[in-house]
Amino acid sequence: MNYLLHILILINIYIVLSVSLNLLAGYTGLLSICQAAFYGVGAYATALLSLKAGWPWLGTVAFGIIISGVISVGIGTASLRFRDDYFIIATLAFQVLLYSIMQNWIDLTQGPLGVSGIPQPLILGWQVSSNGGFFLLSLFFSALTFLFVRRIVNAPYGRVLQAIREDDLFALSLGKNVAAYKVSAFVIGAMLAAIAGSVYATYITYIDPTSFTVNESIFILAIVILGGSGSVLGSLAGAVFLVVVPELLRFLGMPSSISANIRQILYGTLLVVCMMWRPQGLIGKYSFQKDGSNR
Amino acid sequence: MLSQYIANGLQAGSITALIGIGFLIIYRTSGFFHFAQGIILTLSAYSVFFLLATGQLNLPLISIIFAILFIYGFGLLMEASIFQPLRGRGASGTTLLIASLGIYIVIQNSISLLFGDDTLSFRWWSVKPGLPLLGARFTTPQIAIILCSWVILVLTWVFIRYSKIGKRIKAVANDPTLARMVGIDVERIYLWAMGLGSALGGIAGILIACDTDIMPTMGMNPFMMGMVAAIIGGNTIWGTAAGALLLGMAKHIGIIWIPTRWQDAITFIILLGFLLFRPQGFSGKRKRKAAV
Repeated sequence: MNYLLHILILINIYIVLSVSLNLLAGYTGLLSICQAAFYGVGAYATALLSLKAGWPWLGTVAFGIIISGVISVGIGTASLRFRDDYFIIATLAFQVLLYSIMQNWIDLTQGPLGVSGIPQPLILGWQVSSNGGFFLLSLFFSALTFLFVRRIVNAPYGRVLQAIREDDLFALSLGKNVAAYKVSAFVIGAMLAAIAGSVYATYITYIDPTSFTVNESIFILAIVILGGSGSVLGSLAGAVFLVVVPELLRFLGMPSSISANIRQILYGTLLVVCMMWRPQGLIGKYSFQKDGSNR
Repeated sequence: MLSQYIANGLQAGSITALIGIGFLIIYRTSGFFHFAQGIILTLSAYSVFFLLATGQLNLPLISIIFAILFIYGFGLLMEASIFQPLRGRGASGTTLLIASLGIYIVIQNSISLLFGDDTLSFRWWSVKPGLPLLGARFTTPQIAIILCSWVILVLTWVFIRYSKIGKRIKAVANDPTLARMVGIDVERIYLWAMGLGSALGGIAGILIACDTDIMPTMGMNPFMMGMVAAIIGGNTIWGTAAGALLLGMAKHIGIIWIPTRWQDAITFIILLGFLLFRPQGFSGKRKRKAAV
């Protein structure tokens, strides 16, 4: 039962991460390889503030969201000067930089050793300590993210994002401030990712930089692409699928040393297969075909 | 001490130049960021290791030649079985990039399944102290790496500039539609570019493995440096070579002031500096992807 709850908690965390990235990649057409970095920012905010400053958990969540938002305004404004592949490379560069800071600013983050003993949250008198409690907590935030993103993509705001995805010059000609819309989507995505980081840090009680690598960013992007770009429900399905399948492999008696590799081979293959036959993903609406040619 | 840093920078820069050119040929011709090039480096080092160290074949040079041929064939296979069908379905650069990313993930994990995650080495020579030269010490492999890189670089440049295929590659890189109109078999040129780029990446991977150990993730950082060199070099061959030297030097001379652990970050700080302030790179040739 505890194991099952653990899987469900992980699914909830990845739902937050992938739904928030979908806002950016699926709805606005901006593939960012930087989501894990913001995930890390949230996790470190919770870990360091609760351990070193004794902040309550909700306070650290709020701070994580804010700091992630501030950082993402800078990163978003800089990266969004480019489009298509150059944008992807710019976000990759920022991902490597933020990872490098987590790894190397030892005075702040304790570097590769990581931060351990992160306290479990006390929320309005409710001490969360069991897996059941963490499940409810993570479910609350994944539901919140899901409903929030679904709400804004169906609002006029979201329709402008989708118009930008299809044809940004056209959106510009209608008098929409395309650059501001893109940056705002980037910032909202980053702020939501920070929440996932806070939940992860307090649940696992130990974090180190290896959870927030380029590979993790690619994994989150894979959830979005495979589940369905431009569909919040798709991200939900993608997160469930990509978290559950490797666990099933474990049930088939595969040692965990191999199952990590098998998991990655699986989603790598799926990415290629998906691009070949179903570029919009399982239940997605956008298939990255906007530019047609890349020149 | 400074001259030693410069020597190390020169070595890193030479390999980066080779990787950058391999990446550039594919990027300019096929028009997408070929991430799987990062795993090509690893794959070729492991092929040499497989042939040499596991006793399949005990002749170093022959093994290396076989490995490069294998990588060349692997590049052609990738192009023919994945990228060409994708293009046939009207795939955009982003779609090709995602597929390439998928290939990278699959091969890297297959290698670590087959060979394990531990570091390996196919060194068949004994390690000797370096030769003093201009106040720095160069080991024999280091000299071989630098010479090989530049000889191959010049050969590639000559090939692209003077051979019939090379000229066609340039034509397709400039405008595939126009190239098709004047009767160039564009699909064949994509194959050539992918094969050539993969072979160059393969050679670079083997050179890296001669100097350090091999492991499944060895290709990614050098590849990213090569890619950055191509971007800051403004997408031309000699620009890329200059960019590569700049990166190599910055990485190795930078450690005079900056702790070694920040080395990987330096590359990307330089990239961001170029992207923000001079997105067209060294050369004036503008291939800007600025947003509206």
